[in-house]
Amino acid sequence: MKKLICTLAVAALPVGAPLGQDAYVLGVSAAMTGPVAGGYAPVVDAMRAYLEHLNGKGGINGKPVKLVVLDDQAQPSRAAANAKQLVNQDKVVMLLNTSLSSTYAPMVAEAKRTGVPLYYAGSVCPKDTFPPADPLQFCSTAFGATLDSQAALAFVKDRAQGPVRIGFAAMAIPVSRGEIDYAEGLSKTLGMTPVDKQITPPPTPDYTPFATKLKEGDPNWVWSWAPWVAQVRMFEALRRLGWEGRYITWAHLNAEQELERIRDGELYVIGTNAMLEDNLPVHAEIRAVAARANLQHPVSYLTEGFVAGMVIEQALKKTAWPPTPAKVQAAMSSLKVDLKGLRGAPLEWTLDNHFRTQQHYRVWRWDPKANRIVRAQDWKSIDVKP
Amino acid sequence: MQLAVNIAVLGSIYALISCGYVLIYRVSRVLSLAHGELMMLGAYGLYATASLFSAHPLVALAAACALGLMVGVAVYFALMWRMTGESVLAAVLATIALGILLRGAMILVFGTQTRHPLDELGWENASHELWGGARISTVGLALLACTALVYLGLFAFLRATRWGIRMRAAGQHALLAAQRGIGLHGVYALAWGLATLTGGLAGMLLAADAGLEGTLYIVGLKAFPAALVGGLDSLLGALAGSLIIAGAEVLLIHYVDPLLADVVPFIVLLAMLIVRPWGLFGTREELDRV
Repeated sequence: MKKLICTLAVAALPVGAPLGQDAYVLGVSAAMTGPVAGGYAPVVDAMRAYLEHLNGKGGINGKPVKLVVLDDQAQPSRAAANAKQLVNQDKVVMLLNTSLSSTYAPMVAEAKRTGVPLYYAGSVCPKDTFPPADPLQFCSTAFGATLDSQAALAFVKDRAQGPVRIGFAAMAIPVSRGEIDYAEGLSKTLGMTPVDKQITPPPTPDYTPFATKLKEGDPNWVWSWAPWVAQVRMFEALRRLGWEGRYITWAHLNAEQELERIRDGELYVIGTNAMLEDNLPVHAEIRAVAARANLQHPVSYLTEGFVAGMVIEQALKKTAWPPTPAKVQAAMSSLKVDLKGLRGAPLEWTLDNHFRTQQHYRVWRWDPKANRIVRAQDWKSIDVKP
Repeated sequence: MQLAVNIAVLGSIYALISCGYVLIYRVSRVLSLAHGELMMLGAYGLYATASLFSAHPLVALAAACALGLMVGVAVYFALMWRMTGESVLAAVLATIALGILLRGAMILVFGTQTRHPLDELGWENASHELWGGARISTVGLALLACTALVYLGLFAFLRATRWGIRMRAAGQHALLAAQRGIGLHGVYALAWGLATLTGGLAGMLLAADAGLEGTLYIVGLKAFPAALVGGLDSLLGALAGSLIIAGAEVLLIHYVDPLLADVVPFIVLLAMLIVRPWGLFGTREELDRV
């Protein structure tokens, strides 16, 4: 009988007791596996390695940080289940999303229902993080819709020596198409001639038919803002068709490695994260942390995750113990993070701006003569306005 | 002229993939929905052998092809032979489960990073000028050559060799074939092996052209309408269906809207299902409702 009572008592204990009463518990829903994992898993792994490194040095405010990572395979239904588990079972004080934009809605709903702040680390920053920002949503991801096209087209205008006939390439996903539609309109206001726009489905077995059409428009520049595979395969298909123009595209996690693989002097990548080529002191730190955590990703893929780790560190430093979601949200709503040169300026969040107050862009290309990656443009800033 | 080259290359991709669907269906009446994943496995096989034998690219290629053949045979004996005599639906579900398993396993083993087997082999995907100003890549040429060789080889194999005739017999009437002493399991295993080899070859060439990542299996599904349009039990049909789908896709991208590229194979397929559900060259009696 005693045995039965003990068994029932154990069974009645809450399954989801908090993972650590004595730790800052954060919960991530991320595309760790599945078709798009290549763009997200390195961010989470780098962030986790950074926080483990912090824990090794005594944690934050003397407390360790516990990161609960759940895989959503970029599926909204899994993200919804993850968000519920993280909030109700793991009692996290901050939710993080590192996945496709299709997973946002269920996580936002859970964040709003429970008042837990939601931080997009490595996933596209939604409009709700731009001013006037939603009080619960924050984002540190490098790319920013509309701003990226403004910066890229400004670079094209500076660089071009004659009239610009510009082509566009996007992937058939809402965020990419929206950006390229915006860029097409913007190019006209800058005096450029938009000649063609190709939107490729994900995935496409052969990009040559799309590139053939784009080449027929005879562009001397092409701007592409899409997942890396669509950007680079369109460029490679254009080159194989004999196109000799200049191509500018977004610097995703693998841009540095890819520039070195492709070695084309007229392929430009624009981004807001410094590259390993810049050889900053913080890069030595990234290398050391990656080696200690035995990360399998190339070191050049880890900057975005490191930035997220630094942001979390700063936000939790400002959160007095014991942490609550409300305290974390208050800390995040007024935050300035020194990114040690990984970006053009410190990342700053204010009460109504949860993206950043300024966005700084650099442009790189492969220099065939020097046989290395070089800067085509140093930091240039754009103010982020309401 | 460039459009004709584009149609030929895209048609070759679809034809190389869809002949696997046809081989398995024609011989064993099983619709393999793991074909895309097996195709991707073939590509990862090339990446693995290219890393092992980087100084000997031809050895790596041959090893990857042999691996593809063996994997197909192994899949049959490990999983599909248990489906013999079960309902069509059970076999289809088994292939779906196999596909999910393979997808997960490949990410676990090879990670999420894009791989470039061609770089490992030390080969370059150059561009070649053809007549009329059209251009084609080295991999495009390889695709055309491989597709021609595979189809000619399969036609010859099925008509002129003992095992080929056994495969046709098993496909026409399994019970009668078995009563005549044909070992059905051997024939089915060979069909799975050949299908995985040809699908794997398509995966290898696609990965050589554009790099290898976890979305490659979806291309396998894009070739499925080509097999259905041509007729699921006809190799000639797979070839014709592939060219029709590729032609429609390339022409619509060029003259109408690139966004139609994703839906046009299925529009053609729907039209075919309405007009001639057994496909252009398929056998009318062979339709099953699943």
